[in-house]
Amino acid sequence: MTVLLLVAAALVALGAGVATGARSARAATVGALACLVFAPLVAEPLPEMPVALFRIVAGVLAAFLLLVAGRRAGDAAASPLGLPATLAVGGAAFAAGLGATAVGLPAFGPGAAVAAGLTCLAVALLPVIRARDAFRLGTALLVLANAGLLLRGGLAGTPAALEAMVGGATLAALGAAVAVLAGTAATATGSLALPGEATDRRRPPA
Amino acid sequence: MNPLPFLAVATAAAVLATLLRGRRRSGTLVGLAGGGAALAALILTAPGEALALGGGAVGMTAYARVLLGVGLAGGLLVLAVSRLATWEGPAPAALLIGVAGLTIVLGVGGAVPGLLAAGATSALAGAVALAHPATPLRVGALAREVRGATLALTIGLLAVSLAPEAIGGLAVQPQVAGLAALAAGLILGHRFGAIPLHARIARLTDAAPASALPVLLALIPAGWAVVLLGWAPDTLGPVAPVIGWDGTLVVVVGLATLVLGTFAALIQDDLLRVVAYTVVLDAGVVLLGFSSLDPVGREAVRAWLVPFVATRAALIGWVIAFRAAFGTARLSEARGWLRRAPALGVGLAVTGAATVGWPGTLAWDARLAALRAATDGPALLVATVATLGTAVALARVLGMGLGRADPRVATAPGELARVPAGLRAAARALRTPDGRRVATLRAASHEARPLLEMNRTPLRAFLVVLLAGLALLTALGAFGIRDAAAGPDLPVAAPVAPVP
Repeated sequence: MTVLLLVAAALVALGAGVATGARSARAATVGALACLVFAPLVAEPLPEMPVALFRIVAGVLAAFLLLVAGRRAGDAAASPLGLPATLAVGGAAFAAGLGATAVGLPAFGPGAAVAAGLTCLAVALLPVIRARDAFRLGTALLVLANAGLLLRGGLAGTPAALEAMVGGATLAALGAAVAVLAGTAATATGSLALPGEATDRRRPPA
Repeated sequence: MNPLPFLAVATAAAVLATLLRGRRRSGTLVGLAGGGAALAALILTAPGEALALGGGAVGMTAYARVLLGVGLAGGLLVLAVSRLATWEGPAPAALLIGVAGLTIVLGVGGAVPGLLAAGATSALAGAVALAHPATPLRVGALAREVRGATLALTIGLLAVSLAPEAIGGLAVQPQVAGLAALAAGLILGHRFGAIPLHARIARLTDAAPASALPVLLALIPAGWAVVLLGWAPDTLGPVAPVIGWDGTLVVVVGLATLVLGTFAALIQDDLLRVVAYTVVLDAGVVLLGFSSLDPVGREAVRAWLVPFVATRAALIGWVIAFRAAFGTARLSEARGWLRRAPALGVGLAVTGAATVGWPGTLAWDARLAALRAATDGPALLVATVATLGTAVALARVLGMGLGRADPRVATAPGELARVPAGLRAAARALRTPDGRRVATLRAASHEARPLLEMNRTPLRAFLVVLLAGLALLTALGAFGIRDAAAGPDLPVAAPVAPVP
């Protein structure tokens, strides 16, 4: 495992922590950007340049869509854990991920990818389950999907070009779905708050 | 012809339909014409030819062609029924996004790209279907849908990455393989709405436009099932030691879903809910077929999924037509409906027969083979009886139509075709020897809209009968479903030489 690989993995993990733990929507978007852009570089061997660029552009697009979604986001809906606690959780997961491969978890990919993936998974899971705000939920969902891609790369090795491209397209599609969700929530409720369980039922047209 | 023309037409039509979803006339035109063009392109697509892409290939298997064709044809008929009743702008776009995405899901080699594409398709189709018009109910359902799709694809990625073939060393640990199978079962249970994960189906049914439900409740989940069924039996089974408590758990959930789903479908008053819970109870068939990790079970479920998609489209189209005819979708408010709408009754009876099938038909045999792959003895008996739940639920709906008609039903328009007086007069004028033909035909052309307005109910009934016919054909095994389901799972993601 090279130092550069470890640095890229640490940046992904840091980005994931900031994305899910920061109070400010802008900071969270920057964190998501780092998480998504550096993720394709956490691979050994590195993917071909066009494939890596495709993934990076897809990550930038997804982060841009998050920026659009977060225009009305307030600080009140931020993670109750706060940034320091989220980063601590992420740090622990990162260490666990590195340790897992060190003690013999059979994997075809680099341990750094497992560590970064585990970090993304650990910090995203709580907001995915608990978030009541479209922007926070969307950010966590993108980090979660990125976790799946990283763990896949860590366990099974660098993905084939087509798989990596479909992964990038999926991140962009999820970003679009999150932007639509935020826009719909803003139109329906005047904020990004997600309504609770539905109580009314479909009524037939008059 | 490789899938590129179909993919291009479906994608372009999806983009246009999304942009025009708020415009009644142009949205209808683009949705139906785009869907029709996509269906034509699909028919012209030859199975086996692949599109080289990114060092791999996107192909079109015979199975993908028949599943997409039936899903698209059923979805278009439902859109037409819906258009004759009301205007649900996002539904054409959701259907086209669904079929375009599923082309990638079913055509790209390997489980991981398939899962990624399925997750993206689910999220995008849900977003388009639920975003417009924005209501709190739809926001909640959309959040649930995007969350569920992302969780499912992440869990799927982890499960596939844990597969023994992928990381060799874990092949000797059946617990890990069992965990991967359990994760895949969880995904299938969630996408099809197996009990206790059925909230997704109920919320979607309440919130989404009814004409978008065939793609959201049946077609896209079928895509998830095909991907996971293509992966699991080859990598995890069919070896008995792997099926320990994990396999038993999936079987128990499948059986419970069949039994409880039947009860849930029987106690619903809202007809869309009845259809939704028939989807829920049929999730049990998918889970049982999957839990065997046996290629026989896989092929059975793959074959059964085609009539499943067709019959759900037919049932949803039937509910839309029923609601438009009687102004309600509540069964308790429409007693005696059968006397007023006998064609709808025929459509429902035929669809019910296609849903359950009978010995010798594809629907019956494939379902029984899926159940047999996972169960035996009393469990098989319970599962077989419980799968008849859909027929019982539909028989209840038919039975409610036999009684004395409620006032709402008695005053509803009938199904007999009517002709405007102007058109009758034009027809008489044409028969006279000295009639001015051009002027008469021009006058008759002005009667086209009144003719449509007067005959919306019979036209809807006719389309419902067509939907029922499509469902029956798939249940009988038309379109070569049996052979297609037994064919190769997915194209191999091997590098393809560039086309000179």
